[in-house]
Amino acid sequence: MSYRYEDENTPPEPQRASEVAITTHEHVYEVDPRLMELHVLQQTFPNWDTLRIMHARHDHLEWMHHHFAHTTVTGSELIAEIEDPR
Amino acid sequence: MTTTGTSTERVSADLVARVIERLRGVLRPDQILTSKTDRYNRARVPAPFPVHRWRERVPDLAVLPESTEEVAAVVAIANELKCPVVPRDGGTGLTDGAVPLRGGIVVDVKRMNQVHELDLENRTVTVGTGINMLKLNEQLATHGLIYPDDPASYPCSLVGGRIGTSGWSLIGARYGHTRDLVLSFDLVLPTGEILHVGDGAGGKISKSSSGYQLKHLFMGHQGTLGIATKATLKLYPKPEAELSPFWAFDDYDAAYRFTGALARAGVATFAGAVLFDEYKVAYLRRDDEAYIPQPADVRALTCAVLYGWEDEVRVGGKRLFRIAKEHGARYLGDEISEGDWAARHDRYATPLHGRTKTGQVVPMSWHCEDAAVNYTNVPAVTKAWHDIVADLRRRTDVFDDWGMFAYTSADTGVDYLTEIDVGIWEQRLDDDAWSMWVKAKRDIAAAALAHGGSISACHGSCREGEVDLVPRELGRGFDVMLGVKRMLDPNNIMNPGKYLLDFAYQGDVSAQLAELRNLP
Repeated sequence: MSYRYEDENTPPEPQRASEVAITTHEHVYEVDPRLMELHVLQQTFPNWDTLRIMHARHDHLEWMHHHFAHTTVTGSELIAEIEDPR
Repeated sequence: MTTTGTSTERVSADLVARVIERLRGVLRPDQILTSKTDRYNRARVPAPFPVHRWRERVPDLAVLPESTEEVAAVVAIANELKCPVVPRDGGTGLTDGAVPLRGGIVVDVKRMNQVHELDLENRTVTVGTGINMLKLNEQLATHGLIYPDDPASYPCSLVGGRIGTSGWSLIGARYGHTRDLVLSFDLVLPTGEILHVGDGAGGKISKSSSGYQLKHLFMGHQGTLGIATKATLKLYPKPEAELSPFWAFDDYDAAYRFTGALARAGVATFAGAVLFDEYKVAYLRRDDEAYIPQPADVRALTCAVLYGWEDEVRVGGKRLFRIAKEHGARYLGDEISEGDWAARHDRYATPLHGRTKTGQVVPMSWHCEDAAVNYTNVPAVTKAWHDIVADLRRRTDVFDDWGMFAYTSADTGVDYLTEIDVGIWEQRLDDDAWSMWVKAKRDIAAAALAHGGSISACHGSCREGEVDLVPRELGRGFDVMLGVKRMLDPNNIMNPGKYLLDFAYQGDVSAQLAELRNLP
């Protein structure tokens, strides 16, 4: 968390990710603010909270994998084995 | 049309007072809930509805029984005093099964969430029906076991609701669905009598040819035939390994052909495949972090999932990847494959918003219409359903087409749970918009029937709109339903107003049924 309030409430400069989405922090996508001007207004989120939500989502998905199986086999491993069966 | 055969009669204040007085003789005070909060929180399910009519669905009281005997005592009192009873488990159903239409008593089973017996030798567990599958599996994992009933509401739905719905499981192609996984259960009938049903004598028997197969009769009735209180479930080894590859295609037809090929491959660890159509991919590309960065030529997707021992999963997985190569599928990568599959178990937690036709974000609730459709008819039903929702969208911004999935139901690929997800702006769902939606639901169900399908593979079909077509779908079987209801629930107290079952108490209804069966 930053020392200054302003620093903590200013996300990185947004980059356009698609016609309707932008990205701020790495892997964090947001709706283009121009599309949130009438019925739902964008809220100011502190950086730490944005990142907390993103990490919590990843933690949840990781937890769900282990809940259903002990290990996860990746597709890339299998493709490598098919292409090079040695 | 939907109100045919139903009444909106409510319970009088005098009757409510008498019911509460009698309940105090069988339950503790903390088990009888009468506050506004307790009642309003048990009035609805996640399926969007006109919220200005919330008051119409509020029960007069709720009870929290802790045993089969307490449930039986409550139901016996209700039957004697002719007061409606509505069973409520997780309240996650999408066809209003747990919604009280006539007030009365909501029987909330959440306190019956104990594990009564774990039989490691026979691989069964006997539980109170108020237990949630996720919490049960946390306990079973310590023994290396799993109860693999896996709905999209996995973290929040309960075993009893799965019985009342005869639910569908994401990984049912490998492990079967609720009907296959529940061996037997105790049920409190509408008269308050207690019945144990299963195959033959029930208990831990998985297959019997003795007598009528009553277990299926008491599953999927949406709480109209009784309240399941204790169930014995079939257990499997917790899988050693999971594989969940996602593949992309330029167009829907290629993804459809590939999905069929995966399901027909006969891989023993294959637990399911999901086809994402072009509307679904467009929706995800708009609002889902995993899909926003995908290139424009990703227009349709197929995912598959395998569970089992790691050596089995690897061999089966390689077979599926070889099929993928033959079909020109593009693997989307490990991160999206694993992340998206893990999110499938918990779709009720997804924050939702939709768009107006001008693109502005609006708050929307998720609704999902489902059907059971044979593989060869999935494309035609997909097109028909999108046309129906497009017509809604043209008329109002209340509805937003969020695309369609088709999930394998069986290990041979014979039929698919076909679903269309529709965003609904509930705050704007006035009576006119609701009428539009009810008609659309009826049209969606009619399209499934016209293509040889069933109105629902998973949710049930007792909500306004679709329910009108149940007599057509079941034919003479619907008359049998009416006879069974009348015999088991002589006073029509068990979840009244559902499935057009009020017809059971109205004498000769052949003309009304003929009208319903001839609906366009």
